[in-house]
Amino acid sequence: MAYYDAMFDKVGLRDWCGETGGSGGPMTMAELLAKKGGGTAADAPVPFLATPFPSLDNLHEACQSIPRTREMTAGVEQLFLGVKDSLKLVLDPLTQPLSWALDGALALFQAVPWFIMIPLLLLGTWLLSRQWRMVLLVAISFLFLGFIDHYSYSVQTLSIIFVCTAICVCLGVPIGILMSKSDRFQKWTIPVLDMLQTLPTFVYLIPLIFLFSVTESKLYGIAIILYAIVPVIRLTDLGIRLVDRDVIEAADAFGMTRRQKLFGVEIPLALPNIMAGINQTIMMSLAMVVIASLVSAPGLGVLVLRGIRNLELGVGLVSGFCIVLIAIILDRVSKSALSRINEAQK
Amino acid sequence: MTQAPRIQASNTQAPKVSIRNLYKIFGPRPAHALQQVLGGVGKTDLLKCHGHVLGLQDINIDMQPGEITVIMGLSGSGKSTLIRHLNRLIEPSAGEVWVNGENVLGYGERKLRRLRQTTMSMVFQKFALLPHRTVAENAGTALTVRGAARPEILAAGRKWLARVGLAGYEDHYPHQLSGGMQQRVGIARALASDSEIMLMDEAFSALDPLIRTDMQDLLLELQQDLKKTIIFITHDLDEALKLADHLVILKDGYVVQQGEPQHILLNPSDPYIEDFVSDINRARVLRVRSIMADVARHDGPFDGDVRADDTLESLISLSGGETCKVYRVMEGDRQLGVLDMTELLPALVPARTGKRAMG
Repeated sequence: MAYYDAMFDKVGLRDWCGETGGSGGPMTMAELLAKKGGGTAADAPVPFLATPFPSLDNLHEACQSIPRTREMTAGVEQLFLGVKDSLKLVLDPLTQPLSWALDGALALFQAVPWFIMIPLLLLGTWLLSRQWRMVLLVAISFLFLGFIDHYSYSVQTLSIIFVCTAICVCLGVPIGILMSKSDRFQKWTIPVLDMLQTLPTFVYLIPLIFLFSVTESKLYGIAIILYAIVPVIRLTDLGIRLVDRDVIEAADAFGMTRRQKLFGVEIPLALPNIMAGINQTIMMSLAMVVIASLVSAPGLGVLVLRGIRNLELGVGLVSGFCIVLIAIILDRVSKSALSRINEAQK
Repeated sequence: MTQAPRIQASNTQAPKVSIRNLYKIFGPRPAHALQQVLGGVGKTDLLKCHGHVLGLQDINIDMQPGEITVIMGLSGSGKSTLIRHLNRLIEPSAGEVWVNGENVLGYGERKLRRLRQTTMSMVFQKFALLPHRTVAENAGTALTVRGAARPEILAAGRKWLARVGLAGYEDHYPHQLSGGMQQRVGIARALASDSEIMLMDEAFSALDPLIRTDMQDLLLELQQDLKKTIIFITHDLDEALKLADHLVILKDGYVVQQGEPQHILLNPSDPYIEDFVSDINRARVLRVRSIMADVARHDGPFDGDVRADDTLESLISLSGGETCKVYRVMEGDRQLGVLDMTELLPALVPARTGKRAMG
């Protein structure tokens, strides 16, 4: 007899429940264990302190019409699979350019020979930071990476980060501007951003795996973008909201149009905050690109994964160190660009 | 220092800006609250019973072309709110604002923008310069907004910076300048727009006293050449008396008294204003014109000639402190009136309605 039999009897739902005790379909693990422990024990009166929680499984024991937890999860899966095809029909063409961009960038970064690629990276560093120290740091790091044969992995990782960060900025800054202009939009967007930020990274890989095939690069592209876009949106919104009210009023008093105000006053004054957001976005896409190696993202993450899977301690540690090195470079260079902007406008 | 022509001119010309029956009520239902106010509910009752703040009530001011109209009041008197109605940075709850014969409140977005770009410029208490643009670019803001070419913007910026005494600083950024210099940029920016009307919202309040005096002199000097219609907000009576052609005193959102500053000083209509004017150095502010008597009063020998715009302070030092002297008040070659030194001394004592009756 199940614990909640009496309850269903009293409420008069016995007819709806059907016969008690019996269970259709394969047994659950708990049932199996109970059976092994001796079926007679189930009939003994249950002490008050051992009262089971009225969960789906426990209620199912008393009333068959109530689904078990495993039926519930199966239902969720069915629901997802049901909408999957139509969702895919919309999302596939929408996200296809992302695949092209990622594949194109990967191919490009790998096709360019190292003796051209490294100087190009150094030039970029100089343009962003205008500091010889930074250029030196990047040069030494890449020569080291090349020397220990991790150059091509690092460049793969970098290419993914560049593409994803660029897309994050292109999407995130306009979203942030919209949020700063409309309180209602902000109210609806913030919970979504909170969710994206708190959701464990593994969890939102799961629906993505079902939606897209693991061989498509947009799968990890979307995962990285969803994870990394949050700070740039938040800080754009914040930056524009923090622009000095007096300056905005002056802009209005001189008859600026909304466009002139946005591009001539608000965005330039919010730029330090936006840049801080971009810095965060870069760091978060680096974090995600490592995890995304689980879903076939190439780069240093693959080596880390190999270290874990095959218990190759050395491979894992060295590639981990390379990731740290790249993280330091990206952080320093983007921060020095940020401080250059801060210097220009106090 | 030619006050009479200005006043005479103002009598014949139409006002450049006039505010008619302006009300501003802050709160969730201003229209409803306005009915209460028109029905006679006061500021405190409106706040207590209806939860609305009466910002401005029944403001009527005429601002003459080429004059400096000073709106003075303590903080919370609604003066900054009032000036923002002129270019509609704040929308009124009721009333009219006429500029050059057109009701600004009837303007659509495009016309309003043109008004702000070409007819009215503004100087702010906290300067409000664009920190990422150079001083010259800041000064040329009005031209940037109108879509002028860059050389033109910089040329205008340079020209007006030189005019306010900042030549050589064109390529600096605002944060490299002191407060007084930043406000000079603010004034250059307003002048560069070439607008007829200049709104100055506590423009000198954030500056040190000495710098403030410099800036007031600069403004008066510019005004002699440019003859703009200036609306100047301040909480400082000395500043108001120094600059004003027409003085408006605001308290709790209504106009307590307005008129020629000397007149207000000599004939305060209200205990509030008596309090206000009791602390200032009257000898320095009052002018001979304001206290002189008719020509007919005295035709005897004069101890000398004084100009109508001389301050009483200069007159006291001229007479060497003697009270028996009589001076002829001249403007140019014309005799305007007579000043008996015995009449000068009472004018230096603030008029107290109560005490005067007793005396």
